[in-house]
This record gives sequence, C-alpha cells and structure tokens, in this order.
Amino acid sequence: MNWLIVNVISWLLFFFGAAFPILIVLRVIGLTGFMRITRFESFHTFYYRMNPSIKIMLGLVVTIVAAVTIWWIGAIMTAVILLTYFTLKDGKRKFITGFFLTMITIIGTTWAFAPYTPYTILQQAFHVTALTGIWAWPSYFTVMGYQPELTMQGLIYGFQISMRFTAVSLISLVLVMTSTPSQVLRALNKVGIPISITFSLVVAMRTIPRIFEYIDTSVKIQFMRGLGSTAPKIFRPFYMLKGAIYAIVPVIVFLVRGAKDTAISADTRAFRAYPKRTNMYPITIGSVDKSALAVMTLVMLITIVAVIMGLGRAIPYS
Amino acid sequence: MKAVEIHNLKFSYLGNEEPSIEVENLTIEDGETVLITGRSGGGKSTLVNCITGIIPHITHGELEGSVKVYGNDVAETSLAKLSSEVGIVLQNPETQVMNYGVEEEVAFGPENLCLAPEEIVSRVDESMKTTGISEIKDRETYTLSGGEMQRVAIAGVLSMRPKLLILDEPTSNIDPEGTARVFDILEQLKEEKTLIVVEHKVERVLPFVNRIIVVNDGKIFLDISSHDLIHHIDEMQEVGIEVPIHFIYARKYGIDLEDLESIREKLLEIKAIPTAPSRSPESNTLMKTSVRVTAPNGTELVKASIDLQESHILALMGRNGAGKSTFLKGIMGFLEIDLKSEINVVLAGKDISKEHIMDRGREIAFVPQNFDLTLINKSVETEVAYSIKKRKISEYKKRVDEIMELFSLLDYRYRDPLGLSLGQRRRVAMASAIASGVKVLMLDEPTSGQDYFHKEILGKELKRLKDLGYSILIVTHDSRFVYKYADRVVVFDHGEKVLEGVPEKVFRESGKFSVIPPSDFLLREGLK
Repeated sequence: MNWLIVNVISWLLFFFGAAFPILIVLRVIGLTGFMRITRFESFHTFYYRMNPSIKIMLGLVVTIVAAVTIWWIGAIMTAVILLTYFTLKDGKRKFITGFFLTMITIIGTTWAFAPYTPYTILQQAFHVTALTGIWAWPSYFTVMGYQPELTMQGLIYGFQISMRFTAVSLISLVLVMTSTPSQVLRALNKVGIPISITFSLVVAMRTIPRIFEYIDTSVKIQFMRGLGSTAPKIFRPFYMLKGAIYAIVPVIVFLVRGAKDTAISADTRAFRAYPKRTNMYPITIGSVDKSALAVMTLVMLITIVAVIMGLGRAIPYS
Repeated sequence: MKAVEIHNLKFSYLGNEEPSIEVENLTIEDGETVLITGRSGGGKSTLVNCITGIIPHITHGELEGSVKVYGNDVAETSLAKLSSEVGIVLQNPETQVMNYGVEEEVAFGPENLCLAPEEIVSRVDESMKTTGISEIKDRETYTLSGGEMQRVAIAGVLSMRPKLLILDEPTSNIDPEGTARVFDILEQLKEEKTLIVVEHKVERVLPFVNRIIVVNDGKIFLDISSHDLIHHIDEMQEVGIEVPIHFIYARKYGIDLEDLESIREKLLEIKAIPTAPSRSPESNTLMKTSVRVTAPNGTELVKASIDLQESHILALMGRNGAGKSTFLKGIMGFLEIDLKSEINVVLAGKDISKEHIMDRGREIAFVPQNFDLTLINKSVETEVAYSIKKRKISEYKKRVDEIMELFSLLDYRYRDPLGLSLGQRRRVAMASAIASGVKVLMLDEPTSGQDYFHKEILGKELKRLKDLGYSILIVTHDSRFVYKYADRVVVFDHGEKVLEGVPEKVFRESGKFSVIPPSDFLLREGLK
C-alpha cells in the first residue's frame, strides 16, 4: 500500500481511541449529560430507598466480582446494572447516557491496551502461537510503545479488560445519582472514616457537576474568541480538548475562591465540633436493604463457585 | 448587654504590612440593627470576619486587640462555641450551601452540634418557617433560584440559633423579588436578634437599620444613627457610597424631610425636579433576534424576539427564571444539546443563525457573570491579544495597546489576570471579549456584586464603547444602573417579552414583573 495512505490511516487509527470518546462526549452526551449523571435528584425507586452504606457495599461487591472473575461475568453485571438505570429518575435518558459512557470506556480501554500489549502475553492469553494481524503500523510507531501490528487478539484482550471497569463505573454513578452527599457522609462516618475526609468527598460530589458547567462555559467562550477558527472543521474536537485544558486553571481558581466560603460556611456552623454528628433522620435498614444484602450475598457465593470452577481472573479467559 | 465589644483591634493579612482594619473602640448593643457599608476592599468584610471568629480561626494574620461577642473573647473561643452566639450569611449562597437537599442543608449545623433528632427537627422547622422555605424543603438546592437559595442559607444559620446574625451583602447576587423576601426576613428578625448587615445598597437597607457604620481604608469613617444619614450625605458620597438620590436632592436644596414623595413635592414646588439621563436617539437595527427554546419535557422556556439598535445599550431585565440567560445562550449558540430550539439571529443583514460559535464570535462577544472563567492566559496583554492572534488580525500589537488603554489596563499588562482585583478582572474580561473587532457585546449580570464606585466605572465604560459604535446588550437586575445608562429596556416574564421601550416608559409598569423602579425615576416621575 502506498506509504502516504498507510501513514494517514495509521495516524487516524492512533487518534481514534482518544478522539472518538471525546466526540461521543461532546456530540451525544454533552457536558449537561455528564452533569445529569453526576448529581443527585430525588425519586422513590429502590436505589433511592436503599441505605447509602448498603450502596457502598454494593459498589465494593461489584468491584470485587469484576476483579476476580472471568470477563463475561463483568459484562453481565454491566448489562444488568445498566438496565437498572431505567428505574432512576428520568431513567431513559440516564440509560442512554450510561450506555454511551460504557461505550467510551470500552473503546478507550480497548485502544489503550490493543496496540501496546506484547505478543507474548496475547499468545499466552489465547493459547495460540500465530496472531491474526489486522493492521501493520509504520515502523516508527514502535517508538511510542506500539507492537508492529494491531491484532484481533489485541482488540479482544482490550475489550475483555474493559469489562473490569464498566460495571464498577456504572454502579459508582448509581451511588452518586441516588444518594445525597450528606447521606454518603453519614454512611462513611458510621464505618469510622474521619469526618474531615468524608466532608471533602461530600464537597467534591457537590462540585463535580459545576466543574462540567464551568469548563463548558470557558470552552465555548474560547471558541467565540477564535480558538480553532482557522483550522478545518475536522479538528474541532481536538480544539475542544485544548480549550478544556486551558479552562482548567481559571476553573480551579474560581472553585478555590468559592471553596473558602464553603469552609467558612461549614466551620461557622460547628463543623468538626465533635468527632461524630447526629442525624435528623437516623439511618435505618429497610426491606430494600435486606433484599440488596441477600442479592449481594448470592452474588458473592456465585463468584466463589465461579472461581473454584476455574472461571476466575486468570489468563486465558476462554 | 453588649453584643459586640471591640478594643484596639488591628489586623493585617499575611504578607501585608499595612493593617486591613484598625478599630479603636466599637460597641454594638444587644438588639441593635446595624448597617456596615463602604467601598469594596475598604475593610467591611475584614471587620465582620473579626466578629464572627473567621479571623483568626480560619483566616490567619497578625491580630492585635480584643473582640468580644456576648462576652466571649473571639480569639480564645472555638468557632463551634461561637456558632451559637454569632452566625454569618455570606454573599454568594451557591458557595455557602453545600448540601443537595434543602432540609438537610438547614439541619447541617444542629447535626454538627450533636443535638437529639427531635431538637434538630424542631430547629429546622422553626428556621424554615421564619424564612418561608417550608414548601420547598424537599427540593434539591441546585434547582433553587438565587433568592430561594439565599433564604436556605439564612435558615441554615438560623437553625444554630445565634444571638447575633451577620449578613454579608446578602442580596448582591439575587433578583429584586428575592431581595424583597430577604428584607422581609430581616424585618421579622430585627425584633428577635442583633443584626449586622453589610451592604452597598444603603437605600434598600435603610428602613431596617437604626445605625450606620461606614468603613473606609480600614478604619471606621462614620458611625451614625440612620436618622442622621441625611446630614452626612456628602461624607458618604466622598467615600464612594451609593446613597438614596432623594437624600442628595434634599440636602442640596435644604429640604428637611426623609420621605421620597414629600421631597419630590418640595422639589416640584421649587421647580428642581431632576432631569432624566440622556439617551441615544433611535437608530438603525443592527441585530434582529428571535429565540424559541423548549425543554425536553415540552415546556416552553423562551419565546421572544429582540432587536438591538446600532450604538445602543439595551438592558434585559426580569425576575430569576424569566428566560433572560436562556435567551442570551440561544443567541450565542450556548444552549444545552437536549433543548429544542428555533433561533434566528440576523446581524447587519447577515443571517448567522446556523453558524458555529466560533463564527458567531466574529460578530458577537459575550462576558458571562462568572467572567473569571474567560481568563485563560498568563498576562493581561496575552489575554487581550488572544482573540486578535487567533483571528489573525493585522497590526495586533497596536490594537492590543489601544484596547488596554481603553480599559485602563496598561499598568497591569504583565500581571496575571486572575491575580487582579474584581473590578480589574472584569475590565480584562471585557477588553479581551471585544478585542477581535466584534460589533455586539453581551454581558450577563455585570453589576452583580459590584459596589457603587465600580458600577459607575462600568457604566462609563459602556457609554464609551457605545460612542465608539458598539451595540451592547446587558442582563441585569440593577434598575438604577439601567435608568442611568441604558437607552432601551426589555422586560421578560415567563419566557416572553412583556415590556419594551425607554426606561422612563418601562419603569412605569415594570413593578408587576418584579423589576422595581429606581428612586431616581421615582423622584422624577412620582410613586404613582
């Protein structure tokens, strides 16, 4: 194949892993979509009625199962958790956003592993000596740590690894979307985490949606001021990324200025007066929590059985 | 009983040699309602921070002298203990409110005090009742309007049951309707608590306070009864404080009255009614806009059209949630992707409705309320040069110098924009916005949080830009600023344009849409 075509396609493939997820974020999810799935909205379905401590436990269980079992168990958990997004407030939109976030994770992770994973690992993982080459990179790509060729086994390997993250990220977002920061604070304090650490987490949960909003404003204004105005349209996602990087400093400075007010607001309302706090509505364990505990116990038992049966984390996955 | 006793107070921030506040003696009696006013940076906030204990417990520096609140030495008493004696409501409720739910925000303080659940419930209910937020107790705080959020912030402090309540510019970020609700709460609380209100808007607070303390250059410049204000108008103006216009005229013509309508009658008798500010005559339409925005659930958020004339200042007013910001976002192409919209923007005969933000940016500049977010460069000079370079405009150095001179920024050209004062940062944001040669400048709430002195500077800058041929659209709640500087006003309500015309015409009817006419207008036109 023509040297120029090979180089052009190779560089397009190189950027695909970074640019495609960014494109999905910007064109499909949008920064408002991110805000939607990173903040609490009150509702009445089971996730919202669940004790936040149980939700944290659920997150831990999902993490453990995804980490120790074969990839398709992670995939099943991803599908199940994603389907439960329909039970959230404005469930359809959250499901769609969650679906695209999962796609981003899969593409990003696959692209982060597929071109770099040494052939010896792929040979061990898939019990083969010959790998199926899909695309031969120009020789100088090895400087970036690339293997000489992109292989089918590399892509599958990357996809399987992504299943370690997808379920965990989806269940973490469930915690954020269905619990208020102060509920999380209470739950974490109950397990003995110091109040100042949990408070930082609470403030972070409150701040994350704002960060998206502020970065969005800053990037749009940079575009208005001419960012990328002389470049072809195709490069706009990269300029958007550049704008977001430039926005980091003013957004942080802006947030830090506000953070002092937050600290004053907390400290002048007796925050840290005592090592513990009381609650207006004490946390109780309800029927939803008992059901969730039963499901978690069952999942853990299945995991133990699966690992004993050889469906554990070890390579090969098949 | 003394609520506050200050003796030989001197405080310098770390790294500053000069003290930011010096007070020899100051006493505030229990039950008093005190206004502390003065220019930005004059020392007001430092003084109240010394009273609340924020200095020295959170903000450190060199502190001398003693501050006592209800007998407790502030430096020696923990903030937790002080929180039951003194509470503070800050300027920006968005940064003060840290919980997602209204009820849990109000309960935050009592929960920190480890009170019994029944006691917490009782305090939360009481505070929500006082501030009128019981009906929104189940709402998420981020869905609240600025006024609602400020009332939640007040309730969160009241639930600590402080004897002394300090409100630091509590209305600077909220609309007139929200402001009126906050002042209703103050009226109610003045019977129960000692109140200190830090505020630029002397006129609005005056009916609620019995004492005025002016802080200037870190010292107490004036300490008077509110009834004596009329005799100290000159001193107040001397240090750049916005005073009621009818007081200025009463003083000027020796009228010994305080009530606006009575002063107006006297002025009519002596034919000394003030003239209306000069306005630019009608000119050609530069930009025709029509914006219709619908939420994903089908609710119509905005359906309105606005025309902007050449070399004109147009003010867009209305209560929070009236659709002003959505309208601006529509014009600029800033709308969220899940909103449905029909936008038409024709500028100088060219339809730019379908153009990308970066192409619209050739014609329109925008300065958001949080203008710090636009400051991305390391020096004022590179910030102003940014769009000129990006747009590859020739002779950019000359143009950068011209614009920096226009906004008095030449002395700061090598300084980091984010390290400048609030007023200077706003000027950098405006200068860099217009640098690439736009015709239209749009500003969202440029007067928010600015004192009289800085608002006057802003008004003069806008007039200068107008004289240079710029057309300006500003969203603001500040009626007095609009009356003084705008050529035309549009009022929005529930997403629709309900009033349009010159300020003299619009302010006659604007009250029913929560746009309160300024005293300048009332003195000229009368209360009816």
